[in-house]
Amino acid sequence: MLSLTINDRTIEAEEGETILSAARRAGIEIPTLCAVKGLPPTGACRICVVEVAGFGGLVPSCSYPVAAGMKVQTHSPRALEARKTIVELLLADHPDDCLYCARNNACELQTLAQGLGIRQRRYRGTSLPIRLDVSSPGIIRDQAKCVLCGRCVAVCTQVVVNDVLEFGNRGAKAKIVCDADRPMGLSTCVQCGACVEACPVGALVFKEQMNCMPDGRMQTTRVTCPYCGVGCQIDMHHKDGKWIYSTATAANAEKQPNQGLLCVKGRFGLDFQNHEERLTTPMIRKDGALVAASWDEALDFAATRLGEVKAAHGPDAIGFLSSAKVTNEENFAMMRLARGVIGTNNLDHCARL
Amino acid sequence: MTPELQERIEQIASRYPSRRSALLPALHLVQRESNGYVDGAQLAAVAELIGVPVSEAFGVQSYYTMFERRPVGKFHLQVDTNIPAMLAGAEEIVAQLERSLDIRVGETTPDGLFTLSTVECLASCGTCPVIQVNDGYYESMTPQRTDALIASLRRGVLPDLPVQANFGSVCNVLLKRRGTPNATSLAVYRQTGGYRALPIALAKKPAEIVAEVKASNIRGRGGAGFPAGVKWSFLAKNTGKPTYLICNADEGEPGTFKDRQIMEYDPHLLIEGMTIAGYAIGANLGFIYIRGEFAWIAAILEKAIAEARQAGMLGRDILGRGFDYDLVVHVGAGAYVCGEETALIESLEGKRGNPRLKPPFPAVVGLYGCPTIVNNVETLASVPFIVEHGAAAFMHIGTANNFGPKIFGISGHVRRPGTYEYPLGTPLATLLDAAGGVDGRLKAVIVGGLSVPILTAAEAEGLIMDYDSCLKSGTMLGSGGIMVMNESTSIPRVALRAIRFYAHESCGQCTPCRQGSHTVATLLDKVVAGRGTLADLDLVVRLCRTIKGTTLCPTGEAFATPIEAMVTKFRDEFAALVR
Ligand SMILES: Cc1cc2nc3c(=O)[nH]c(=O)nc-3n(C[C@H](O)[C@H](O)[C@H](O)COP(=O)(O)O)c2cc1C
Ligand code: SF4
Ligand code: SF4
Repeated sequence: MLSLTINDRTIEAEEGETILSAARRAGIEIPTLCAVKGLPPTGACRICVVEVAGFGGLVPSCSYPVAAGMKVQTHSPRALEARKTIVELLLADHPDDCLYCARNNACELQTLAQGLGIRQRRYRGTSLPIRLDVSSPGIIRDQAKCVLCGRCVAVCTQVVVNDVLEFGNRGAKAKIVCDADRPMGLSTCVQCGACVEACPVGALVFKEQMNCMPDGRMQTTRVTCPYCGVGCQIDMHHKDGKWIYSTATAANAEKQPNQGLLCVKGRFGLDFQNHEERLTTPMIRKDGALVAASWDEALDFAATRLGEVKAAHGPDAIGFLSSAKVTNEENFAMMRLARGVIGTNNLDHCARL
Repeated sequence: MTPELQERIEQIASRYPSRRSALLPALHLVQRESNGYVDGAQLAAVAELIGVPVSEAFGVQSYYTMFERRPVGKFHLQVDTNIPAMLAGAEEIVAQLERSLDIRVGETTPDGLFTLSTVECLASCGTCPVIQVNDGYYESMTPQRTDALIASLRRGVLPDLPVQANFGSVCNVLLKRRGTPNATSLAVYRQTGGYRALPIALAKKPAEIVAEVKASNIRGRGGAGFPAGVKWSFLAKNTGKPTYLICNADEGEPGTFKDRQIMEYDPHLLIEGMTIAGYAIGANLGFIYIRGEFAWIAAILEKAIAEARQAGMLGRDILGRGFDYDLVVHVGAGAYVCGEETALIESLEGKRGNPRLKPPFPAVVGLYGCPTIVNNVETLASVPFIVEHGAAAFMHIGTANNFGPKIFGISGHVRRPGTYEYPLGTPLATLLDAAGGVDGRLKAVIVGGLSVPILTAAEAEGLIMDYDSCLKSGTMLGSGGIMVMNESTSIPRVALRAIRFYAHESCGQCTPCRQGSHTVATLLDKVVAGRGTLADLDLVVRLCRTIKGTTLCPTGEAFATPIEAMVTKFRDEFAALVR
């Protein structure tokens, strides 16, 4: 442990810890843009710069290690001016179409600009005309809005390790590319959507978000993904009873099996729930035709028939086949039912077929 | 890709501790073998062979300006239009080429014979204007020579157009052999006193060499002036990892053309210096990272290295002293920022040349994560003198805290632009005299490469050329590239050309440099075109002040400082242009 002062407060910190981490623990908020939780800092956006006594330049708090006796000012006039200028420079090349943007009101650039009191456009860039990339099934890329924070590249290469996204070109011409600058739909992208969740602005959005402006009727429900036994936790975003898009459950993400990630099925495959052919009640075949039934009715019927078969032919006349599409807990319950209640080892799982 | 090509790439890869480092050389090779560009399919093949994702290979290919992705003419004419070239009339050469080829910059003639491009500083500042044609330079281009060049190329012949480059030396350390015929050969190098320091060094302990270099107080000649011996002593010890030495031969700072004088005319001096330095710091492998445009100089170095190896000066058990050491020449691909030592290391690892966060410093975590020393060509070429004659002799040259000889590259409006080796601490006036004097009346001078603050004629009066004096006079010695401007020079145009250079070269990693350089360029463009306002000038100054000290690497400062100086010191000239 060592101690330093941040904004004239004495703070204890670990050797090797960054200024940002020490400050946050002490409740001092420093904004960031390029930082991705759990990944090494790139120090690229420079939003988090702070003033350290004795240093000529400003210091990126996200990556600079603390030292004993260090004196840090996180909101000095110089640091604030730098932060504000950086955001203004990002806005200089940014299209003025917040109203039409899927991320309106949920945009980190807006939040930063508001927090820094930016009320006018001092700088004007010459943004290149860039076309929307709508080539992929689920994701729309709008490079004109990209702030080149690199978060999408970081997750695609370091978290999901699909190595699709990368920086192309350099300087003011730098842009994010898929493979060798291919449209996303023609690239090796697997549409996991991790990059969309990482994007702070409207440069990467889910297609369905474009068809549904977020408003008061938008709701979020946490569900367990119905596709495989991993048990990924999904925040389903829906409106008027209709699924719009999914994000990995953000609350306590590190404690979830999916740790903030989803695959293409959990991400985009929940649209079936509004499908007209989807079964919404149990069905019992009566006189050769399937008829809707209540759960009690259906369960009673199954229990009675299983009991009859067991009484007539013994427990081994019955077999149980479980599914990878249900949770581990449900598979466990199925095992208990087979072995404990019915008394048979005739139990298998679709994943072995 | 043909099996032969694959085999050659494999051979290149075997020279490096990491296969990934072969990516740039492989792209160079494939490009040379396939009409000057590498398409998507070839890129994918290279990526697979090296073992990197296609996205990363593309990221690398598109980062470096020398890698072409679309067909280019049989002769790719690249005219340097940076400040020294601009002062020497490069714009007229470009206009002449546009007329005679009937194409615009960026276009290719319909017969596919010529592509015309403008490029950043080619480090031929004393022999400007310069046109790079494929892998070679045509220097000191006049309208007549340009006509002759085009006429010959139309016949399919790369002509021989000799150049007379000016040079001079009062120290005879670094440019000692500059006028000696055949000095690139080992025999001539030896006859003229070469390879005398190496046996002396190998007879001592490495720590003694470090101590001697430290005692000489030699300051790094790459620009920052950091004492080399002190840097060497920062090396992480007992890490269980190899230590590497890298020679920074990127020579990208506009106005700088000194390192090539050593590599082109006295390569063994650098090799001897690097071998001694490698021995001193405990390295068994050294790299020369040379800018891509210097391909033919890389060939001179390769040849000299092969000769040295043959003679037992490199390789196993050098001079029977049990020291193993070898050198690899790594050719860059067109990126100024790769002169910054951590960007250089990334580039040498086969990546985009994005500078790294510091700390850690290369001496602790450098190439392939191992302790690494990066030194400039001129720094390393000074080492044999220090070892042979001793620190005291070195300190006999120059002034206190600023010892030793220095090559000054003088370009712009002087009568004999060229490279001149003088002791540090020489008055600017003496150097200008050596270069034949100012052509016309001095208006301004940039004394340390483009990244240092400009001086007005009045400020340059009595200037002493060493690190400390320059700092005291409000500028920096930098690389010692002196650009002289007479009264005909438009400083606003110089400023605009300068910021365009930085906007083009910014790696784009960090916001203030990427967006800031681009925004300043947009503002200055408006001003120079007569559409600007005084408020625009204030914005430029304000932006420059904010950018300083905010960027990830020193490049932000490298443009913010000189642009701010130009706009504030010559404000009237800018103000005269606004609406
Ligand atoms: C943008 C930038 C470009 C640089 N270009 C060069 C260069 O071309 N050659 C060089 O030797 N040093 C260059 N440097 C300085 C290097 O980072 C490094 O300090 C130097 O190579 C160390 O060598 P020295 O100590 O012998 O001077 C550059 C630095 C920056 C920030
Ligand atoms: S959707 Fe997944 S695989 Fe595709 S680019 Fe984004 S992170 Fe990479
Ligand atoms: S200042 Fe930033 S953008 Fe500019 S070259 Fe350095 S790292 Fe790259």
